[in-house]
Amino acid sequence: MANEPLSLAETRKVATLSRLALTDAQLEEHRHHLGAILNHVRQLQALDLAGVEPMTSPVQSVNRLAEDVPGPTLSNEQLMAMAPHGAAEPPFIRVPKVIGGAESS
Amino acid sequence: MHKVAQVELVVGLEVHVELATRSKMFSRAPNPAGRGVGVPAHDPAAPRKDRESCKDTSAGTAVPPNTLIDPTVLGLPGALPVMNRAAVEMSMMVGMALGCSIAPLSRWDRKSYFYPDLPKAYQISQYQLPLCFDGAVELGAGDGTLPARRIGIIRAHLEEDAGKLLHEAPGGGRIDHSIVDWNRAGTPLLEIVTQPDFRNADEVVEFAQMLRNICRFLGASEGVMQKGHMRFEPNINCVLTLDDGHTVRTPIVEVKNLNSFKSLRGAIEHERREQPGRWLEDGLTLGPGTKTTRGWDDAAGEGRTFPQRGKEDAHDYRYFPDPDLAPVVVDEAWRERIRAAIPELPAIRRQRYIGEYGLSGKEAAVLVENREVCLYYESTIEACIERGMDRSGAGRRAANMILQSGAKRANERAAGAEPVLVSDLGIRPEQIAGIIRLREDGAITSNTADELFGLLCSPHESEPADADPGEVAARRGLIVVRDDAAVSRWCEQAIAEQPQAAADVRAGKSQAIGRLVGAAMKASAGKGEAGAIRERLMVMLK
Repeated sequence: MANEPLSLAETRKVATLSRLALTDAQLEEHRHHLGAILNHVRQLQALDLAGVEPMTSPVQSVNRLAEDVPGPTLSNEQLMAMAPHGAAEPPFIRVPKVIGGAESS
Repeated sequence: MHKVAQVELVVGLEVHVELATRSKMFSRAPNPAGRGVGVPAHDPAAPRKDRESCKDTSAGTAVPPNTLIDPTVLGLPGALPVMNRAAVEMSMMVGMALGCSIAPLSRWDRKSYFYPDLPKAYQISQYQLPLCFDGAVELGAGDGTLPARRIGIIRAHLEEDAGKLLHEAPGGGRIDHSIVDWNRAGTPLLEIVTQPDFRNADEVVEFAQMLRNICRFLGASEGVMQKGHMRFEPNINCVLTLDDGHTVRTPIVEVKNLNSFKSLRGAIEHERREQPGRWLEDGLTLGPGTKTTRGWDDAAGEGRTFPQRGKEDAHDYRYFPDPDLAPVVVDEAWRERIRAAIPELPAIRRQRYIGEYGLSGKEAAVLVENREVCLYYESTIEACIERGMDRSGAGRRAANMILQSGAKRANERAAGAEPVLVSDLGIRPEQIAGIIRLREDGAITSNTADELFGLLCSPHESEPADADPGEVAARRGLIVVRDDAAVSRWCEQAIAEQPQAAADVRAGKSQAIGRLVGAAMKASAGKGEAGAIRERLMVMLK
């Protein structure tokens, strides 16, 4: 199982989900990289984890809550100044055309 | 070829409620859905002038686009989210009101999301461990028009809302790209998911309205539909019974982003009509991979649903625990503190109004529909009791005044624009109680009571804000005149003006007296009482 690459189909799917347009050469390269990463993580499967609680957070603390008091904001001018070249369309930010329902669910 | 003999509708509902916290879910940028941000929906404390000054902008939001933002909202490198305590507590309250259990441990997950209305490319949500789960509510307990029905609640979890993408230039011009406003990005959203327990559109709408009432009473949401504070996504399918007795289940259709009760009802009824025919055409039945997503178009006639292109791998959200946020642990003390803070809920108040005050189910339902109006009604009852009336009579009469004189003025003032609440008309509960007392004492007529109500609705224009109704009535000569001589004088004047009507009454056509009563009332300039005038006329024309 040493560094077995991801299949081309799986690599393509991961690229699609990540909204990455990869060439065939890049897909070939990345399926080896991803395979190596998975193989590294796969070592954990050798451990006996019976009775170990799943870790929900890397920090031990819980209930890090803020009081509901409005704080400082960035101004629209600051946002426009930060926008990548050509994206500022005050007071909005210009983005590629979104087709279909983009609303979060 | 089979025929469909019977159609049973099956609906489950997802509701997104924007919580009315002051700041956003994971940062302290102001929340556009919060109380007092932008145009307050009905904040009697806010002077009218202020409300107008922050009215609509071209983006359709109450505040200028892209101003309720900070590094966390924008997903800037290094910005870290911190959970809003009020959002957690509001969600616990709503969950409890829906009969849910509160999870002792809940946590935050990242849901991959690639649209620019959430700039950090993921949405923080609760996937594995929702805050509230496993509840139920009873429908149809209110006015008896629907049979009682139990609706199971699967879960209620917190997540963050996305910003708004606009596909037209402000004002409506065509653009070949999209533009984004992130004011709404990061607003706390409570997503409530029911079991597929609904069997008709009435039940779904009743549940949705009940949920809005609950949220308003808890102060958890303003619940203004026009502002998108509540959005509905029904999952709809049908059980078809065929003429040979077999049953078939149609594939589930999820209709996205309905933001009015009317469109919610329309979408469900449309699908109920369409699904049997769709099955006859394509033969598709419920099963893996058959669920589709549709949008709603209410422009054409009764409205219709239309297919939306399914997002590629839409269900491959690749949730994983958000390492930036600590889990939420709710112990018994916290849970009970929240439970104790829950006020009497609208459904219980409605029942009380019907039982204690003898209101109809419909009257009671209107009074509990909005928290401000409901509290205003109850203050009016207390003010009547202070003026020596018994509780039951006070409840009845205060309801009449608010639902008639009040509703009329509110409609006039709204004039088709944003709704106006009776509690925002400017007349105070004590003044309404004063009017009711005058009427009870027979000092004013019912028409005068309504007139007084109107005069006191526009403080500073016609009467001072703290004007006493009795003093106003006396000064304006609206107190009923019981002087026999005066009543006789008005009646004589009416008979002189309407000799034909008088002759008709003398000849036995008693319905002609209406014209005489009207003329006498006119002669009295509103100070006469129709009953007394009618009696006097009858005697005079015998």
